[in-house]
Amino acid sequence: MNNLDSLPKKKILSLFMTCGFPTLNQSKKVFNEMLSHQPDIIEFGLPFSDPMADGPIIQEANKLALRSKLSTQQSLNLIKELSKSKNNTSFVIMCYLNTVRKFGLNKFIKNIKSIVDGIIIVDLPFEEEDAIKKSLSKNNIHLIKLISPMTDKKRSKKLLKNSKGFIYYISATGITGSNKLDYKEINKNVKSIKKMSSVPVLVGFGIKSKKDVIDISKKTNADGVVIGSALIQKYFDIKMDFNKYLKSLKKFIQEVKI
Amino acid sequence: MKTYKQPSTVGRFGEFGGMYVSETLMPLLLDLDKSYKKIQKDKKFKKELNDLFKNYVGRPSSLHYAKNLSKFINGPKVYFKRDELNHTGAHKINNCLGQILLAKKMGKTRIIAETGAGQHGVATATVCALFGFPCYIYMGSKDIERQKPNVFRMKLLGAKIIPVESGSKSLKDAMNEALRDWIKNVRDTFYIIGSTAGPHPYPKMVRDFQSVIGKEAREQILKVEKKLPDYLIACVGGGSNAMGLFYPFLNDKKVKIIGVEAAGRGAKTEETAATMTSGTPGILHGSYSYVLQDNDGQIKEAHSISAGLDYPGVGPEHSYLKDIKRVKYFGITDKEALEAFQTCSKLEGIIPALEPSHALAYLIKAFKNKHKNKVVILNLCGRGDKDLFTAAKAIGFDADE
Repeated sequence: MNNLDSLPKKKILSLFMTCGFPTLNQSKKVFNEMLSHQPDIIEFGLPFSDPMADGPIIQEANKLALRSKLSTQQSLNLIKELSKSKNNTSFVIMCYLNTVRKFGLNKFIKNIKSIVDGIIIVDLPFEEEDAIKKSLSKNNIHLIKLISPMTDKKRSKKLLKNSKGFIYYISATGITGSNKLDYKEINKNVKSIKKMSSVPVLVGFGIKSKKDVIDISKKTNADGVVIGSALIQKYFDIKMDFNKYLKSLKKFIQEVKI
Repeated sequence: MKTYKQPSTVGRFGEFGGMYVSETLMPLLLDLDKSYKKIQKDKKFKKELNDLFKNYVGRPSSLHYAKNLSKFINGPKVYFKRDELNHTGAHKINNCLGQILLAKKMGKTRIIAETGAGQHGVATATVCALFGFPCYIYMGSKDIERQKPNVFRMKLLGAKIIPVESGSKSLKDAMNEALRDWIKNVRDTFYIIGSTAGPHPYPKMVRDFQSVIGKEAREQILKVEKKLPDYLIACVGGGSNAMGLFYPFLNDKKVKIIGVEAAGRGAKTEETAATMTSGTPGILHGSYSYVLQDNDGQIKEAHSISAGLDYPGVGPEHSYLKDIKRVKYFGITDKEALEAFQTCSKLEGIIPALEPSHALAYLIKAFKNKHKNKVVILNLCGRGDKDLFTAAKAIGFDADE
């Protein structure tokens, strides 16, 4: 069974968090808090020293997590432990290719089989995915595809062929000098993706508030949202006081669950 | 050996190279690849570039017989390919001119670049001034501190310098930030990468633009020595000056080729930048190549006295040339490089940059009293002006006196 195959039809909520942030022990509490709200999806970021596709906030979270030499094995163990209270929430790993490669693909899959429903390898374009995709699908783990506003129709078609789980549409890209969401553009692109694929389309990058979540739901055809940086930002907002962080996280997740 | 024909159409040098970037960048790289292929056949482009090489850069750079150094080594005849005489003082300008012409052709309106030693930053700022582009240079704050003359140069040329405070605050982190900028500003921005690193087509494109070095050297040496050189030596950080010299000689089996990496405080210590001596294959900045990494694939921080070699990765083509054993790579420590820096200055009246000082140090160390009657070309890819303060400090000379 793969939880991603039974996602709700609308208003899907996916929450991203870096494993081991701010410390491994505190990270458990953070994920438990997230899990207690039963979001549709939790994305586990595996920290990487050079997260070039992530913004400064997630980069900082990676740095904090790696401060205590967090290993890939520790992150995977954490995910395994949390999966006991997984219920209907889908578990998705988000990582960079070097992490998987160095750990060993087969060993990696062995560690996440029947625990993790999907994986996003940020720097693995579909031109390079063949070898990995086969092993993943054999073990019923979906390789989640990213689509950006720069991906043209022809490329999207190739990319979206046989897509599983959900499509991650990267919203805030290509808007020079601003991180404002361009709902018109998002709607246009999501519509076009939906013509090519039947799996849900989630919008991610730059979603910061309840208002953003509602607007995406009202003004676009997207099936849900991914929230990441905004969850981590709260930690820095309350000056890294961990107990206060858990409380503000709780409040924020309650808000964005629409 | 079969005729050397790398990379493949998808940017593979053997198993190395490729395009490991997020979907936000993929369409751009494919577009860049397409545009680059197009201009390679464009005669007008070639003419324009050659004209700039000749009249703006001052090419061809000379091939100088370093008589005194040769005598000192008591071994081979040493020639310097003097790319330090180029406008802006290093080989970096060759590539920047090629890429800015391409940016113009592609209709881009904003230029970004990363820099370590500042040579690539200065070269980028220079071509941006010449062609009237707004220019943003990402530079680690540690490098800003140790390369002040170049920082001032870039500012004079009208570039905006964005200090990078993340990670080791040097070249690797500057490249991460530049890539992030590109992801955010995909539509109008052209990223001028300064080395043969990064995702395809950069390693190929930068090599091609830099290969003017090797093409000239080949003609020049055939003219004076009536034969090909026995050895080529160049320093390797990301590897652009080395690829520029090596590439036109790769099919000449008899020419032995040596790349010299920065070993920092020693290739076996944690404070090194000798990627191919101490590293293992991995993925950094969109390309599969040798990198300095730990057991979990976390990229380590590099160390070298030379900011231009202070990079934990290396170009995929060098990784390939190492594995097929066409090029041999060796490490030289900070201390050895500093010594060669002084030897070259005193003997030849040429103050080399700390980067080629590594190549010089290897030459002096490995060829002393050996290889007589042989001919060596060493790529003197940059001049030492930018390193005066760093070198003075390391040698113990009070430059403020």
